[in-house]
Amino acid sequence: MAETCLARTETQSRRRFLPLSIAASGLGCSSQAAPSGPEGNSAVFAASAASYGIELEGLIQSGFEACGLNVRGKKVLLKPNLVEFDANTAINTHVAVLAAVLEVCRRQGALRVRIGEGPGHRRDTMHLAEQAQYRSSIERFEELFVDLNRDDVQPVSGFAGRERFFLPQTALDADLILSIAKMKTHHWAGATLSMKNLFGLVPGAVYGWPKNILHHIGIPRSIVELNRTFPKTFAVVDGIVGMQGNGPIQGTPISSGVLVMGGDVVAVDATCCRIMGIDPARIRYLQDAAILGHWAGERIEQRGERPEKLRKPFALIEQFHHARLA
Amino acid sequence: MRSWQMPDGGWRPSAGVSNSCWATSLCVSLHCINGVFDQPWERGVRWLLASRGVEGGWLERLLALVYKMPVEYDRRWKGWPWLPDTASWIEPTSHSLLALKKAMVKYDRGSIGRRVDEAERMVIDRRSRDGGWNYGNRRVLDEDLPSYPETTAVALLGLQGSQGIQIDPAIELAFRQWEATESRLAKAWLAITLQNYGRALPVEQPSETTSDVMLTALEAIATPGGGHQWLKPA
Repeated sequence: MAETCLARTETQSRRRFLPLSIAASGLGCSSQAAPSGPEGNSAVFAASAASYGIELEGLIQSGFEACGLNVRGKKVLLKPNLVEFDANTAINTHVAVLAAVLEVCRRQGALRVRIGEGPGHRRDTMHLAEQAQYRSSIERFEELFVDLNRDDVQPVSGFAGRERFFLPQTALDADLILSIAKMKTHHWAGATLSMKNLFGLVPGAVYGWPKNILHHIGIPRSIVELNRTFPKTFAVVDGIVGMQGNGPIQGTPISSGVLVMGGDVVAVDATCCRIMGIDPARIRYLQDAAILGHWAGERIEQRGERPEKLRKPFALIEQFHHARLA
Repeated sequence: MRSWQMPDGGWRPSAGVSNSCWATSLCVSLHCINGVFDQPWERGVRWLLASRGVEGGWLERLLALVYKMPVEYDRRWKGWPWLPDTASWIEPTSHSLLALKKAMVKYDRGSIGRRVDEAERMVIDRRSRDGGWNYGNRRVLDEDLPSYPETTAVALLGLQGSQGIQIDPAIELAFRQWEATESRLAKAWLAITLQNYGRALPVEQPSETTSDVMLTALEAIATPGGGHQWLKPA
């Protein structure tokens, strides 16, 4: 019996992994032709940020101004990326970035600011927030925070062709969502940035942990559908320390030293990809999202620092070697 | 709760949602705990018996013969999904296992027994290399994924009475997780599980109060004499 098991393991190790394109088809990924994007160009602000100890509020304020964002009078939902905690790597949006965005929103006169997240794996969200130092570093965090996995829900129609898809009231009520994502590679999507960060809006109490329905709909299609459903989203990507390799959980940290912001989430994610050394033309969800924004470099007005100067190639797993930017 | 039962016999997770889902397992268990074995209960049991994960279809099995699949698991065994038309995961499977094991008091053992046996195999197959359970993926892209304390606790609740696993090492791991975790939710689930397996736990000082109703309820059940035995099979 033991020999049989060993032989099987060796056979498996010689086999190549199922190509992700086939796997994605099996999971129900869409293959829609990319339509032309919106008119005009999109502004994206990128700036070097050497560490979390620098003065981040000024940098974020500059990004808001460079991209024409003013949150005065708005109900704002801050959506960090809070998934898992591992002290040895960099999975979550760093609390310093979240706290700085919160402060800038308050200073600008936002009507109401909430922080919301619905982690995809773990059930004890407040404990995750504790581990990520959100609770200890952000004053009255419990009053600001909404666990989107267990929020009241409302149906929206037309999500991935569905008659009803349930989303959290807190997100639907917001005038603006600030997707405060982590710059990471992703073993299914290639990269996880401001657009995929919206997976955390899908309520676990309805759809479970992990949010498997999104995999059945197809990861690229789900990313596009969520961003189509929440068009009033501004992206802030924490790439001060990112994650490379087998992200979004098991990768290794990389000091990429950058913050990227903008109101066109497609353009922000495409810029992040270029900084990470990933060709956005090879990232399926960005191609599928062309109806929502611009991924092509000639349609993006880079503000702040040039992405070429900020480039820090992230290690990619074998399945995404083809996406390496030349 | 009774008014939230759907025409198909399952239960919805909240008033605003209109489809049956994983919450059915909890509702069936609650009926059993209260000794209510009426028609709505039976319809709930039938809904559970008809529900299974969609993973491991013929195409997936065929591809698995040719390629090494990114997610490693035994495609023969299916548990329960969080909602219909999605894959099986540890928590809904474990809650469903418990519900059906409790339902064996009044229901035909044959049909329940086969389904329970298959789902137990699924749970055992998805066990992480460290001996516990996470949401349900033990190995992805050649990397072992670690277990979580809360899902280890829930998996062991589902496996109560199972003959397919050496339970002592798993209970030892659960105890170590109970000692180590700072998650109140995990600690509550683990305390319920460990007591159900006969492990006496030291009485701890009550935690600070919380507005989280689910956590408060679980912590109350987890206290000695607080009702952990409700989550035992029949």
